[in-house]
Amino acid sequence: MSAVDPPSLASSGTSGRSRRSIMRPDLFQTVLWVLILTLCVVPFVLVIVISFGQKIEGAAWAFGFTGANYQRFFVGASWPESTTFLYLTRLWYSVYYAVIAAALAVLTAFPFTWFMTRMSRAAQSRWLVFLLATLSLSEVFIVMGWDILLSNRSGLPMVLRETGVTDWLKVTGWFDVLREWGMANPRNVKFKTSEFATILTMSYLVWPYAVILLYPALSRLDPSMTEAARTMGAGPWTVMRTVVLPSVRLPLIGTLFLLFVFLLGVYVSVTVFAEPAKQTLAVSVYEAVRGSTLNAPFGAAQAVILLITGGICLWLGQILVNRKGVTA
Amino acid sequence: MKVFAHGFMALAAFVIVLPILVVCASALNGGRSMLFPPQDPTLTRFAEFFLHEPVWRNALVNSVIIAFGSAALAVLIAWPVAYGVWKRRSAASKLLAGLGAMPFALPPIVFGVGLGFMWGFSGGLGEIWSGVISHAVLFMALPLVTISIGLQSIDRAHLDAAATMGATPAATFRTIILPQMVPYTLSGFFFALVLSFNEFIVMFFVSASGYATVTLQIFNSLRNGFTPTMAVAAITFIVVSVIVFSAVARFGDLPRLMGADPSRK
Repeated sequence: MSAVDPPSLASSGTSGRSRRSIMRPDLFQTVLWVLILTLCVVPFVLVIVISFGQKIEGAAWAFGFTGANYQRFFVGASWPESTTFLYLTRLWYSVYYAVIAAALAVLTAFPFTWFMTRMSRAAQSRWLVFLLATLSLSEVFIVMGWDILLSNRSGLPMVLRETGVTDWLKVTGWFDVLREWGMANPRNVKFKTSEFATILTMSYLVWPYAVILLYPALSRLDPSMTEAARTMGAGPWTVMRTVVLPSVRLPLIGTLFLLFVFLLGVYVSVTVFAEPAKQTLAVSVYEAVRGSTLNAPFGAAQAVILLITGGICLWLGQILVNRKGVTA
Repeated sequence: MKVFAHGFMALAAFVIVLPILVVCASALNGGRSMLFPPQDPTLTRFAEFFLHEPVWRNALVNSVIIAFGSAALAVLIAWPVAYGVWKRRSAASKLLAGLGAMPFALPPIVFGVGLGFMWGFSGGLGEIWSGVISHAVLFMALPLVTISIGLQSIDRAHLDAAATMGATPAATFRTIILPQMVPYTLSGFFFALVLSFNEFIVMFFVSASGYATVTLQIFNSLRNGFTPTMAVAAITFIVVSVIVFSAVARFGDLPRLMGADPSRK
């Protein structure tokens, strides 16, 4: 590992050995840079470059420099004769689901993490094992679980029917409201397909991430601050509002934005739980690159839009964090 | 307040566990449907998954190869990058680490599409080895973080003392740095291993139907609906995750690895 020693350590003397040790770090660093740039940056660059390419009818696609894919994304392929906002609508749903699911995850994960960090170190370890095990579960398994739980044959609709909640909803008029929201059929409550099921699954997917991301900030919060506030007569909610929340607002904002960016690309939950008309950009990226339409440049253009959306959000988050940091 | 805290945590744990329990229980279904509660309970699906059905066995072997291979490779690449940041503290080293963590921080579907193009050009599309490299790059951020945490915990006074006593940088590395870094390196390895084992979207674009991992196989089987055999795969994954993270917690300081204040007990 001396290969990554700083040059200053190896630069004294002019013997052959010293010269070799000067050369090696440079060579190793160059190899490392080439490796990282090739593997981490080139895939993103390729997506951007190919997004300007064009589909060749009856064949694959070719490199090019056309903005047709972006035009199709924003106003449709036949613009100006006709205009369609199909893909903008899909982008809207990507953002809409991601914002609500991320906010829901952070809102519920915050009190959980707070309570967890007040426990003993051993108890925290056990909770962390539990959370990490659930965090590592594939989206496919999570969707599988919720699919059973929300299916009309078994799961929650059946529980609601058997416990009489469905009848109660019908008597009170709430059943008609649920039908208007697309969450009930003439006989019973239904969750598939619905925005509710989509957002619930997405939120579930990132919930352990939310806890893991909030954990460092909350566990490092100085207990003497909250103790001082309590000694001065502040109740638990006042302490939370005036001491804890202001202290961790930056990690809170950061977590919210990171989860949002992650959720922009969620695929399985959306394909299983969202109605076709309310599916996201991730689904149409898949359709274009690997699915039915096979138009790699257009798929790449949509991926770039997704990337830009994520980038803008992270940038806005950074600005927000910096501004709050300055005023804090 | 304590009652509320415990109640809230129990409720959260219940909601988190609910779909997992349902999936696990569904593996016991005697028929081909994923019913909950399971009907005609049997363990036949476990034998199918591990022994009798080559599709699932091959998928499991592929998952294991890719998870172990990519986790090892991720650690091998992350080590010099993290070490460079710690040793040099230069803007260039930090940029290198930032670029290395970028695939994990951006929407995975975009990275998956990009990798699909890259392997398509270089002839690696649909090959196991390109799957290994793809996951190594995607999850490199994890060992990068754990190794960086470990390096920061090394007392620089020890290094100065070793240098004063004439130890070469290589000897210092071998006798002081490396032994202290073993748990952090292993943790990074296991984090990458478990996430690779379960990852879906990047593998979906990179495998190009050339092979299937367990998650890909489940997704491919979705067209015919969920089956209890898939649920056995879920149980396998959960058991592996719990064992791995319990081992990390047992042999390392898990709260510290996750960012807790090391000085507080």
